[in-house]
Formats: sequence, C-alpha cells, structure tokens
Amino acid sequence: MVNIKLILRILGFLLIVEGVAMFIALIVSLIYKEPDTSALLQSALICTGIGSAMLVATRKARKELGKREGFIIVTFVWIIFSFFGSLPFVLSGSIPSLTDAFFETMSGFTTTGASILNNIESLPHGILFWRSMTQWLGGMGIIVLSLAILPIFGIGGMQLFSAEVPGPVADKLSPRIQSTAKNLWVIYLLFTVLETVLLWIGGMTLFDAINHSFTTMATGGYSTKQASVAYWPSPFIQYVITVFMIIAGMNFTLSYLFLTGKFKKAIKDEELRYYLLFISGFTLIIFAGLLLTTQLGAEQAFRDSIFQVVTIMTTTGYATVDYLHWTPFLTIVLFAVFFFGGSAGSTGGGLKIMRIVLLLKNSYYELRRLIHPNAIIPVRFNNKPVSEQIINNVLAFFMFYFVIFFGSTVLLMIVVPDLPSAMGAVATSLGNIGPGLGIFGPAGNFSALHPAGKWFLSFLMLLGRLELFTVLVLFSPAFWKK
Amino acid sequence: MKIVIVGAGEVGTHLARMLSKANHDIVLIDEDQEKLQRISNQIDLLCITGYSNSFRDLQDAGVSKADLFIAVTPFEDRNMVSCIIAKDLGAKRTVARVNNGEFINEKNRDRITHFGVDEVIYPENLAAREIVNSIKQVGTREMIEFSGGKLILMGIKIRKNAPCVNKTLEEISGINKEIRAVAINRGTKVFIPHGKDVILNEDIVFFITTKSNQSLIYEISGKEIFEVKNIMILGASRIAQKAVEKLGDQYNIKIIETDRDRSIKVAGRLGNALVINGDGRNLDLLKEESLDKMDAFVAVTGNSETNILSCHLAKSFGVKRTIAEIENIDFLTMAEGMGIGSIINKKLLAASYIYKYTVGTSVAHVKCLTASDAEVFEFKIKTESRITQKPIYELSIPEDIIIGGIIRNNSGFVATGDTQIKVGDLVVVLTLSSSINKLEKFFK
Repeated sequence: MVNIKLILRILGFLLIVEGVAMFIALIVSLIYKEPDTSALLQSALICTGIGSAMLVATRKARKELGKREGFIIVTFVWIIFSFFGSLPFVLSGSIPSLTDAFFETMSGFTTTGASILNNIESLPHGILFWRSMTQWLGGMGIIVLSLAILPIFGIGGMQLFSAEVPGPVADKLSPRIQSTAKNLWVIYLLFTVLETVLLWIGGMTLFDAINHSFTTMATGGYSTKQASVAYWPSPFIQYVITVFMIIAGMNFTLSYLFLTGKFKKAIKDEELRYYLLFISGFTLIIFAGLLLTTQLGAEQAFRDSIFQVVTIMTTTGYATVDYLHWTPFLTIVLFAVFFFGGSAGSTGGGLKIMRIVLLLKNSYYELRRLIHPNAIIPVRFNNKPVSEQIINNVLAFFMFYFVIFFGSTVLLMIVVPDLPSAMGAVATSLGNIGPGLGIFGPAGNFSALHPAGKWFLSFLMLLGRLELFTVLVLFSPAFWKK
Repeated sequence: MKIVIVGAGEVGTHLARMLSKANHDIVLIDEDQEKLQRISNQIDLLCITGYSNSFRDLQDAGVSKADLFIAVTPFEDRNMVSCIIAKDLGAKRTVARVNNGEFINEKNRDRITHFGVDEVIYPENLAAREIVNSIKQVGTREMIEFSGGKLILMGIKIRKNAPCVNKTLEEISGINKEIRAVAINRGTKVFIPHGKDVILNEDIVFFITTKSNQSLIYEISGKEIFEVKNIMILGASRIAQKAVEKLGDQYNIKIIETDRDRSIKVAGRLGNALVINGDGRNLDLLKEESLDKMDAFVAVTGNSETNILSCHLAKSFGVKRTIAEIENIDFLTMAEGMGIGSIINKKLLAASYIYKYTVGTSVAHVKCLTASDAEVFEFKIKTESRITQKPIYELSIPEDIIIGGIIRNNSGFVATGDTQIKVGDLVVVLTLSSSINKLEKFFK
C-alpha cells in the first residue's frame, strides 16, 4: 500500500514553500502599494497554514519513500501548486473564474506560457510578479527546489529527482542529490540575475527586466506586456533574450561545466552540437524565406527568424512577430519546431533534442542492420553506447507523445472549430510552449476557449512537463496492484 | 568526506550504503552500468561507469580531491594498481582489498605504503579471526572486546531455558549493575531496548559488561560453558586455512574438502589438522568422522547454501557450536532465524573494518553487528564536546543510540543515566545504522 501519510507530509512541506514564495510577491505588491496586497497575503497564509496543518497531522509518518510514492508526489505537487497558486488571481479579482485562474497557473508552473489574459498591463504588479514567479519556480522544478532546501527526502530523493528532471537520463552534478539540486539552482539564479542586469541596461524597467528574466530562464514565456517582447523593439533586448533562451534550453550540467571552466568537455557534448545545429538550420531556412517573401531588411529578418525559432525550439513562447502572417510554408516549418524542445536537463519542454537524435540514429542504424543482419550496431551518444533500455524508453515516449497529440487534437475539436487551432493548442500545451496556431496564435490567447478545453489543456501541460511517464504511470493498473 | 569506491560488489555496495547514510560524498566506479543504475536508485551517490585502473575514469571520478580511496574489486592486482594511480593523482588515503596474506604482514607494510597503498584489508583474514573468536567464546553469537577486554559486548541467543526470559531489563539490571542489555535482535529487526522492555525467547540480546561479570551473563542466559576440543571444518577454503593457522595446536581439527588436489596441498601446509578428502554433504562420511563427537562445526565452503544446511545438520547431531560462512547478504537475516549458530560474512566484516577510516581519529574501534542494522563504536574522547557537558540522561540522545559503557583509568564501567563522560575516556556506543550521522554532533 502506498504511504499516504508520508505523501501528505511532503506535500505539506512543499505547500509551505509555495506560501513563502507568495510572501515574496507580497513584498513586490507592498512596494507598489496596490490593492492586490490582501489577496496575496491571504493566499500566502492559506498555503502556509494548510501546509503546517498537514505537517502536524502526519508527524508519525513512516519514512519510507518508494517508487510509487515518488510518482504520486511529483504529479500531485504540480496539481496542488497550481490549485493554490491560482488563489492570488482569484482572490484579487484579476482572474475571477477558477477555471481561468487554474489554467493560467498551470500554464505558469509548467512553463507553458499560454495565457487567458486579454489585458495584461491592467494587472497589479504583485500579481504579475507572482505570475512570472510561477514560471521561474516551475522551470527548474518544484521538487528540485525542495531537494535543495529541505533535507526531508532521504533516499527516495533520486527517484523524485529523475521523475521531474526532463530527459531520458537525469545527470547528477555531485555525489549528493542535495548538493546537485543546490548547484542547479545556483546556476539558474546566476543566469537570472545576469539577464536582469542586461535587460535593465537595455532599457527595460527593473520590474520588467526581473519578470522577463524569470520567464526566459524557465523557458516559460509570460510577459508583463500584452504585446509580449514585441513591446520592446530594441534589437539589444531581443538579442539578449534570444541568447538567454538558448542558455535556458541547454542542459544545465553543461552550464555547470562552462561556469567551472571545463569548456572543452562541455563543447564536445553531442546534444549541445545538435541543439545548436537545429537552431541554426531552422533559422537559416526561415531567414531565407523571410528575405524572399517580405520587404524586411536583413538584420530585421535575421532577428525575427532566430528569435521565433529559438523561442519555439526552447519552448519559451515569447513573440516579436506574428508568425501566422508569414507565408504558410514558413509557418509550417516553424510548427515542425514545436516538437523539438530543449535539451535534456534544461528547463525546456517538448520531445527534447537528445530523444530526437537517439531516434534518428536508431532508425538510421536499422537500415544498416537490415543489410548486416548479424552485426551488432549499438546507438552511440557522446561516444558511449546507449543501452537498449534507454532506446526502448525513448521509443515508447515518442509513441505516447504522438498518440496523445493526435488523440487530444481529435478530442479538442469538440470545442474548437478548426483543425489548425486545435492542433496548435495541443502541440503548444504538450510541448509547454505557449502560442499555437489559428485563433491561439501569438496575437491571440486562450480566453475564448470552452472551460472544458481549458481543463483539458491544463492536463496536457502537466503531462508534457512531467514527460508523460510520471503522470501516465498513475493511470496504469499495474501501479495500483498490490 | 569525499570517498571514491572502486568495485560495486557486495563489499563496495555495502560500504557505499553505510557511508552515504553517514553523510559522506560517495563516488562509486564499476564496469557494469546496469549494476550501478540499480544502486543509484537506492543510494544517494554518484555512479561512474569505468575501469578501476584507468587514469581517465579515476580522474573523472574526482580522485584527486578524494579524502579516501577504496579499491574493493575481487582482484587484488587491480585494487593495488588502482590505489597506486589514485595516490599518484592525489587521493589522501588509499585502501586496497587483497587476497594474499603476505600483504598484511607487518614486514611488508612499508613497501606497500611506499608505492601508494596506505591500508590493506584481507577479508578472509578478518573472517578467520572471527571464527577463532567464536570458537574460543562458546555460548555467544558475537563477542566484541574493548580495550583488551575491559568492556565486553556479547550477543547471546536466548532460549526458553534461560533464566532471563520474560524479564524486563530493569529486573535484570537489578541483579547486577554491571550488566546491561543494549540491543535486541528480534525476528528481522534490531532495536535499542529500554527499561520496561522484556526479553523474549528466540531474541538475540546484546549485553555489555565487564570481564569479571562475564560468567554472570552466561548464567542469566542459561548458557553452559564448555571447552572446545574437537573441531570439524567443512571446506579447505582460504578462510579455513587461516583459521586453522590461528587456532594452533591445542585443538583436534578435521577438515573436510571435496577437491582432491586441494586436500593434498592443504594437508601439506597445515600440520595441525587432519584433512579428509570427501563430500561434506555425505552423511555417512560425516558420521564416520564422528560428527556427533564434535564440539564445534565450522562450514566455510564457497557455497552459502551448503554451509547453512550442513550447520543445520550438525546442530541436529548435537554439535553445540556451529559457525556458518554466508556470503549472500540477503540470506543473513533468514539464516539468523534458522538457529544455526554464529554467522560469518566476510564482506560485512571488511566493510566495517574500512568504515573505521572514515569516522576520524577519535574512533578506536568500529564493528557492524552481524545480520542486524547496528554498529558499535569505541570513541576516544580527546577534547571537550557535547557528550562531556552533562550526565547521559540530560543529553537528549536519540532513541536509536545508546551509550553502553566507558573505560576510564584502565577499568571498564557499564554506563547508566548518571554517568558523566570526561575527556580521556573511551566510550562504547551502539547505534542503529540509520542514526550514525547523528553521532557526530555529540562527539565533535
């Protein structure tokens, strides 16, 4: 039987963490002296209160954390965080409907960045800050954050860690899971501060700079402006954001290597090379396409193309132009990028570069295996053979991803009238990107969607963020068998 | 402490688990990726797939910054080479597991340290020592002496006939203040008992006492002391040979070995034992060699199942003292419950031995109790620390830790709540493995 008490205990701990994060947003609200103060205070008190009550009630929990408990905790913490995280929106009246608020918060924590807001600028600063912060917390992962600051997880930590960190294999930076998590957060924080400073220099207000750094590093894509990054036409700001999106879509283990001076080792990484290769390839195609089909200058065309490719590839979801106005060929090329995603171990969503490369290699080697039936041809990655188990896992992941993608598109068609919009909405939710196609394009938003559709997309975001398996396993009968 | 372990066999894994629980940073290197995968799911450590004697792999593991480097693959030459490389790369202290008695010889010690191996462990030798102790100390499952016997920890299996059965610990300490039960192994669990806990039939109780009260423990646990004269050893393994060497001439020893060549070799080497070539599972042979007349039966063949079964058989023939070597750690708890006497596991012995190097210089002695999740430490109190500030009952020591006794001015005392520990004392502490990391704050 699963250890429900321990699950509740850990969830209680995490709820307190969320409450503390709300207090930070509360400080922002106090600085701007806006009416959202009481809503944030109430939410923070509710979170810490319920969290503490859960802790007190489960003092005697057995400290055995198994695989099952791990999956349940990781899945439910995201649901609970989104539920309680939507309180500030509802209580302050910024987003009166619970459905909308939950969608917005889930979209935040999963770093999707799809919004239902029609007038972002009208929201008070404290609420906007909380909205960006959901992405920042969700980016590196709630569990990873908790592993870094709470010594409660013990041996089960690695299982929670790998259930939350994206990619087929979770790397450890150091022998202890706690110091690994700490290192990851330090790197994350470091880049966030650096970007804030650069954006501030580039002409953003400090508030906007912080918010955008939060959502860039998380590859989230929430902006403080309705027009998203297009609000700032400054090339400097757009390039800075592009660079930091690329960093955020890189494996943080590599960032760690870079920061500790091990450039040689980092630059040799195969996934990084493919990641940069895909970015440059797609940028080049779209750049050429824009030059041929529009009157844009070379710099503008380059900036537009690289920004859109990077924002979609890393699953951030900012917009500087509406790609739906491009010639259909370019739009469809960009839609292909929807499925790539960042690197394993980054904050990005999607299929992940490493999986795609493994799949392509494996499929290509299959041809060679046909010619040499007795040959042993292992898939190699970073010059090391990849175990068949991982290949199987990646194949299963790929299969699930597309079955869910097509199935969900059909389901969503019940409430969404046209195919491109439905496809785009599903792809963007599952890949944690943000903008989709059709009525949900970069210029539009999800406010008009039927409530059932919003709940459904929220679920898809969770599936995508936890990389399918962690959530799907809860639906398998084997999980609940004794 | 940063510790690199090479070899994810049973010794390596056991060590990694123990050390990780004690909050050390562990890097484990092995060639087998799948094995490492399994381990990293259970233990908080960093696994590196690589070779024990590869410069690159050892460098990747961060050997240059390691405080302790432990090579425990099954191959002594690899372990040696690995230690030599590690020392050269900058590891502060290296430990190699060896399979050859010459390496532990004091005469050769300087040579070994000279080329980079600081400590060697020879698990077979540790196991042999353990066997000899068990034969000399009949009646106990386990016996650990501190400071040359000033304090003694005895693990005793309690049978129905023992006078102490169904008595509380308070009643027992009422008999004599110098006897204290510090741990009880009941079923598959070990726990630290308190005054109101009752000793039950089939428990293995760990008593701490002084030398002069040792006989009293035998008395309350209903154990008769007899002298061992006739010993039968099953399997002429290296452990057996080492044990026979250590036992000397005062016993009648019979060794039964299946392999003819080996029997001949061992017979040539050991003058003080009679080597019989035959299958130890053959009942007629055992009867012929008068198994029923034996005082002790030691099963140390390479096969744990054979050892368990033959000890069981020996018990049924009325042999009072049986000792089985069991190498599968998973079997230990089960075997402990089968009533086959003492159990020896050379991997656990080796792991405990190495563990000593990680707990700093204040630890004079450390040992893991067989088949239970408990460790015994002997601390030397060198400076004032938390432990010396108040009497024991005021220290709020966690439930899973118990201070068994102290040795002061060369005489041992069993600790009570009023005992005040002073600088210069040797303190015997027993703790469940899960609480090892809590020990530190009291002794630092």
